[in-house]
Amino acid sequence: MRVWERGILTQFDYALFMGALILALLGALGIYNASPQSGDYSFFLRHLLWISVGVGVCLFVMSIDYHFLADHAFLFYALSALLLIGILFFGTEINGSRSWLTFGGVSFQPSELAKLTVILLLAQYLGQLNENHLEYRHFLILASITLFPMILITIQGDLGTALMFLPILMGMVVVAGVKKQLLAGVLVVSLCVAPVSWFFLQDYQKQRILVTFDPGLDPQGIGYQSRQSQIAIGSGGLFGKGLGQGLQSQLGFVPEIHTDFIFAILAEEIGFVGSILILMLYLLILMRLIRIAETARDRVGILMSTGVASLMFFHVAINVGMALGIVPPIGIPLPLLSYGGSATVTVFAALGLALNVYQRRFVYF
Amino acid sequence: MPIFQDNRELLQRLNWLRIFFVLVFICLFAQLWSLTVLDFDYYQNLAERNRVRILPQIAPRGLIHDREGRVLVDNVYGFNLLLFRDELSDLDATLQFLMDGLDITEEVLRERLKAAGSYSIYQPVVIKENLSMEETAYLLARQSEHPEVEILKQPRRIYRYGSLAAHVAGYVGEISPAQLQEPVFRESKAGDIVGQFGVERTYNQTLTGRDGRRRVQVDSRGRILHDLEQIDPIRGEDLTLTLDLDLQATAENLLGEDAGAVIAFDARSGEILVMASRPAFDPNQFAIRISKKEWDQLLENPDHPLQNRTVQNTFSPGSTFKMILALAGLERGIIDTETTVTCNGSVDLYGHRFHCWKEGGHGEVTLREAIQHSCNTYFYLLGQKLGLQEIAHFARQLGLGVPVGIDLLGEASGLVPSEEWKRQVRGEPWYPGETISLAIGQGPILVTPIQLARAMGIIATGRSPRLHLLKGDFQQGSTAGRELLSPAFAPENLQTIRDAMWSVVNEGGTGQGARLANYQVAGKTGTAQTISLSTREELSESELESLEDNAWFVGFAPRDNPEIIVAVIVQRGGSGGSSAAPIAREIFRLYHAKYKSRGPAGLEVASQAKQEKKL
Repeated sequence: MRVWERGILTQFDYALFMGALILALLGALGIYNASPQSGDYSFFLRHLLWISVGVGVCLFVMSIDYHFLADHAFLFYALSALLLIGILFFGTEINGSRSWLTFGGVSFQPSELAKLTVILLLAQYLGQLNENHLEYRHFLILASITLFPMILITIQGDLGTALMFLPILMGMVVVAGVKKQLLAGVLVVSLCVAPVSWFFLQDYQKQRILVTFDPGLDPQGIGYQSRQSQIAIGSGGLFGKGLGQGLQSQLGFVPEIHTDFIFAILAEEIGFVGSILILMLYLLILMRLIRIAETARDRVGILMSTGVASLMFFHVAINVGMALGIVPPIGIPLPLLSYGGSATVTVFAALGLALNVYQRRFVYF
Repeated sequence: MPIFQDNRELLQRLNWLRIFFVLVFICLFAQLWSLTVLDFDYYQNLAERNRVRILPQIAPRGLIHDREGRVLVDNVYGFNLLLFRDELSDLDATLQFLMDGLDITEEVLRERLKAAGSYSIYQPVVIKENLSMEETAYLLARQSEHPEVEILKQPRRIYRYGSLAAHVAGYVGEISPAQLQEPVFRESKAGDIVGQFGVERTYNQTLTGRDGRRRVQVDSRGRILHDLEQIDPIRGEDLTLTLDLDLQATAENLLGEDAGAVIAFDARSGEILVMASRPAFDPNQFAIRISKKEWDQLLENPDHPLQNRTVQNTFSPGSTFKMILALAGLERGIIDTETTVTCNGSVDLYGHRFHCWKEGGHGEVTLREAIQHSCNTYFYLLGQKLGLQEIAHFARQLGLGVPVGIDLLGEASGLVPSEEWKRQVRGEPWYPGETISLAIGQGPILVTPIQLARAMGIIATGRSPRLHLLKGDFQQGSTAGRELLSPAFAPENLQTIRDAMWSVVNEGGTGQGARLANYQVAGKTGTAQTISLSTREELSESELESLEDNAWFVGFAPRDNPEIIVAVIVQRGGSGGSSAAPIAREIFRLYHAKYKSRGPAGLEVASQAKQEKKL
């Protein structure tokens, strides 16, 4: 293929890739440290395996011209939608969500794949439009593309993951260009829908939101999670308690340490300084993603990178904000750091998409 | 793919996105700084508390033995349920959980929590003592869902013989807020179990051990991960009482269902051998925190089982008071052994007819005969000659009217009347007729059984050893009454009374029921009205007569060099000769059988200690 001839090594965004890899390895370290309590290192080993798979997928995605991917976006989208529907019948329930498909001992979440296919289809549609200011009807189509998998995922019982589709849509729409009235209209509708949706939320979901505003509300219940997370982070201090010394997390006070609250265990052990380094790595990745969008050859490339950046940004901001106690506890992972095969592979695939765009930023005739 | 794209606007908007990302990250940095640096102390403190739980290790109290080393009060370990209130998230859910699996009502649960309101939130509350196997199993199976409760093995008191010697042993209970302010409890904290009555209370400081504690690291489910610190509890010091449980059991069995009291002490050392009070209670009821309802039931029992009748209740001495009159008469030279009085069954004094108990009268009687047959007439006339002041003076000389200073709390003073007392309390003068009643132990004179026993002791030996319950040293007891009594009575006068009292038992007198073939018992019977002085004032004459009398016997043995003093009162027991004297006889009999070959151990120890001091 031409890609490889033109030199993968010269047109490769090392900063982005290495940043991601370092974060993934730090996550593995955090998982390793969380393990001695149980003496079970299988999480750590499996995570290393998933990182390897992720890197492989990343390079694979990068190697296929993103125009080809965009051209077949609807196919991928339909496929992931089929998986989401299939899951309703054949899915495996883990932690209360029926969002897993199991093939020969390996479980994966189609909802993660759906994030990518939605980005692809949105980028493809917006690129074709070549329109600097979207009309209502365009917006309706975009919203439908996004809402369909969202609804399916909500039915599975994974509201947190479903909600993460909205910022992807918003990020891409804002960059693609939208009339100010439309933007205002969407905002007004959202503001009106938000209070109404309150009545459709489950009690535990309402609780989660309330607890963010008053952590003392329920010290052992829902608020307990974010409270314990704050205690872990706060007690880490400036330099942390040292690797493996994070008692709060190790003693099981911090829930879901491998996944949703991985940031808390790391922050407790490496302190403010270490946590800032982690956040800086994320910021570096985000800045690179925006840079890739800026230098992209065409509209599809710009929007694809924007989608990936939005996906990354909102996951990081919400997960870290949740650990720090400024966002309601929503069960979403921290990209690259959290344990979890599907999420890790998806993030690497998304980054592969961006690397793909970066590599093909020059037009060769 | 479109041929031409003008993407400049998109690039501009990408820049907004970049700025937005950076702003949000600045917020995250700020919050991170705030948690880890600004509020570090706060969170560190919380983290510390999160993982450390202090499990109280209650120290067992010292054991209580009788004089022969038999264990009267012991400890057993049981499983108690503790609630850590600082880890409580949903009180109602926890209470429901406890009610579902434990034999406990919500009322009791709330009561416990309310009682615990005064102590630190980090101090666990004992919710239920002595859990059954079923309850333990229920709790253990669900412990991970309820980290706020914990089962701990803790000691509690067990009174081996139930109600035997209950009033001496006393009982324990949770310290009250008022007690926390008292200096004797300064080392106790809210929630502690302390002695509340009996020697448990008097010697609480000695018996109380030093609590230990176990600091453990726990996870969020309350599971113990490992120990951080272990301070072992130290058991309190043991006590050895002067009581003889054989004698004590005999006394209590003989009192049986009757209300009454028996006190016996060693005439030479003042060691209390028997202190029996009936009806009694089972102190084991108090060993676990009893509910307010159970407590009220005991308090409201009309028979007052909680009162130690030997020291807390006062009674009219009745005819036993005659020995005091006799001593006063002899000491003042008003009578001698030859003085006689003719008893016609009654005598008219101050315009009132005073009756002897024997309708036909006793005829001409000497002092010895008057005591032997308890002739009222003799003592009416003696009392008239002595007058109130002298009677009161000798009563006080023999230790009436003040507590004897036994090492128990709540001892009553009794009452020795005076003209002043009458004026102050009743607002009227002392009528001469009252002196006549007083002479036979009726009227406003009240004694506790222990006071009467001590008076008996003084007459029997001429000495007044300090009465006490703790073998050996008794530094913690009250000092009231200590100044009493280096009484100086003429030995021949005391001998006269002793001889007369011997004849009461051995020469066909009123106290024949106490007679023993191989042990020379002497004593005096008495009958007296049941009711208190103030009640007596309120009742009419006819009502008074309808009440059955209390039966007294006070005595000593042997006649020469007395070893043991006994006082018995059987409430509503009729005459002293029939109901009280036989009980005293059994005490004398058993004492003699046990101790005639060997002197009381306490005496030997005391004399040994003296010798050591000299060396």
